[in-house]
Amino acid sequence: MDIPAMRASFAKAAAAGDEAPLFFYSHLFLSHPETRQLFPVSMAHQRDRLFQALSDVAAYVDDLDRLVPILQALGRDHRKFGTVAGHYPAVGASLIATLRHFDDRWDAALEQSWTEAYGLVAQVMIEAAEAASGQPPWWDAEVVAHERRGVDTAVLWLHPKPEFPYAAGQSVSLETDVRPKLWRYYSPANAPRPDGLVELHVRAYDGGPVGAALVRRIGAGDVVRLGPPVGHLAFDADSDRDLLLVAGGTGLAPLKALVDHVARAGPPRRVDLFVGSRTEERIYDRAALERLAAEHGWLTVTFAVSGDELSPLEQGDVGEVVARHGPWNSRDVYVAGPAPMVEDTTKRLLADGVRPDRIRSEVFAPSRLGPSLDGEVTG
Amino acid sequence: MSIHPPQGEDRRLSPGEIRSVQFARAAMLRPGYVEADVDRFLDRVAEEMARLHADKAELRDRVRALQEQVAGTVAPEAPSDQAVRILATAQQTADSYVAEAEDFSRQITADARAQYEEQVRRAKENAGAIIEAAQEAAARMTAGERPPDAGSPQRSTQELEEQVAYLKAFGQACRTQLRAYLEALLADVEAEWGRADPGALPRPPVPPVQRGGRAPAAPNVAQDAAAGGDPA
Repeated sequence: MDIPAMRASFAKAAAAGDEAPLFFYSHLFLSHPETRQLFPVSMAHQRDRLFQALSDVAAYVDDLDRLVPILQALGRDHRKFGTVAGHYPAVGASLIATLRHFDDRWDAALEQSWTEAYGLVAQVMIEAAEAASGQPPWWDAEVVAHERRGVDTAVLWLHPKPEFPYAAGQSVSLETDVRPKLWRYYSPANAPRPDGLVELHVRAYDGGPVGAALVRRIGAGDVVRLGPPVGHLAFDADSDRDLLLVAGGTGLAPLKALVDHVARAGPPRRVDLFVGSRTEERIYDRAALERLAAEHGWLTVTFAVSGDELSPLEQGDVGEVVARHGPWNSRDVYVAGPAPMVEDTTKRLLADGVRPDRIRSEVFAPSRLGPSLDGEVTG
Repeated sequence: MSIHPPQGEDRRLSPGEIRSVQFARAAMLRPGYVEADVDRFLDRVAEEMARLHADKAELRDRVRALQEQVAGTVAPEAPSDQAVRILATAQQTADSYVAEAEDFSRQITADARAQYEEQVRRAKENAGAIIEAAQEAAARMTAGERPPDAGSPQRSTQELEEQVAYLKAFGQACRTQLRAYLEALLADVEAEWGRADPGALPRPPVPPVQRGGRAPAAPNVAQDAAAGGDPA
């Protein structure tokens, strides 16, 4: 395998911008029409993601320790899309046709290198998918309750079958028949329960297709699909340090799951939960949180509003309100919410002397398409 | 080398064996090999040939089956560049329709939300101001002051209470109506959307000024300072 030559030929295709993935998918759908149904109507996002994944592969192709786990995760995750081993040669043929099309100096040696490299990539992915065949590719989950909370937010209770194994703080991808083939990431707002129910918080962002459907179109009795859970927040369940949890928007969900985990499994720790919102009206889970705080002496819940002068709640950005209640130097800190809120809160806590390794955060952006290859949540 | 198979009858006959076969000489009176030996050997040769024929036929069948299988999978020949271009253009057209539908929905929802929040805010402000004024007036009256343009104190207090109740109800009605209005707008957007049947589209980076509070905007220092500590 001539890796520099392969990188050079990939760079030529990448330089063609959207043209290259456009060619690739058109070629794939023409040669294997049955693969079209695995993708959504609009392919714009898909094209970005494919080339992002391919350039990661090209970048790490000589660093197998790094590449192999990435490919294994991709292979396992692709099961939920309905990808089977038979699809891999089809993709390989179209990929090579694409590289050939955009490379005026393509030759047999290059074709050989790419064929070998793709063969390895496909083999790793297929083997990982097969190794994961013990668990289902996806879980059907019935919506057992759907509560509208305000204009654009809903709290859903799902009942996945078979049992859905996950840990508090993890995220799951979700697809609904109302918006087929569009998978979005959400975080369960509870730790695993004996009855198997999973609580999700969904906010319909303006123009966002999936959130809007989940808030306004889906109701009790509908069935959605869940992909395998992925770890984002990296909750350290064994630590017994007290907790500071800072939530913005639906970033509340994974943090509420941590509260639930402490309530169910311990170890006993003090938990201070701060929930930031622009207006008081938009605090969508207030009653449930106040009930939790009343039930558990170790839990304090503080609400903050940043754009509602008439509200009697604490005024200011949630990061600022948190800093006002400090110091928090002895805490394990988890921050989840929109990027500016996470950034601001983290900055203030660091300035107040909280150790960086004690702060874990997750950005909740509109349209969470999923973790990128590096495990970050993309916007 | 003997004509007898070294171990058991199943051992197959090799070309080397045939080449180096040695038959026993017959008796002095009859020149040539022992007939029985030759016959036995010929039997083995015949058996071996039959087996080879059978093997060959089986392999031929397998080759044919595999060829058919290969022909079946390779059959879709590579699409022409022209076909790829046509499909690519069609896909781009579909993508742009979906993008437009989403953008339209985004704008309408954002506008509706901004309008709703502004009206709720104004209604709250008005209601707050009126209630405050009413409470001040009530306080003055209970302190014995007579409002310059009112009748008896009892009547005024009662009137003010009625006014406060009316304003509270009015505020509630405003909220309900605005919510209904917003819901209707959102339902329209959904309907438009259903027609366009959109998929996912890339979204431009979230601007700092947020619609619907999806993200608290960058820290507003002036506002924070003004708000001060004011526990709920």
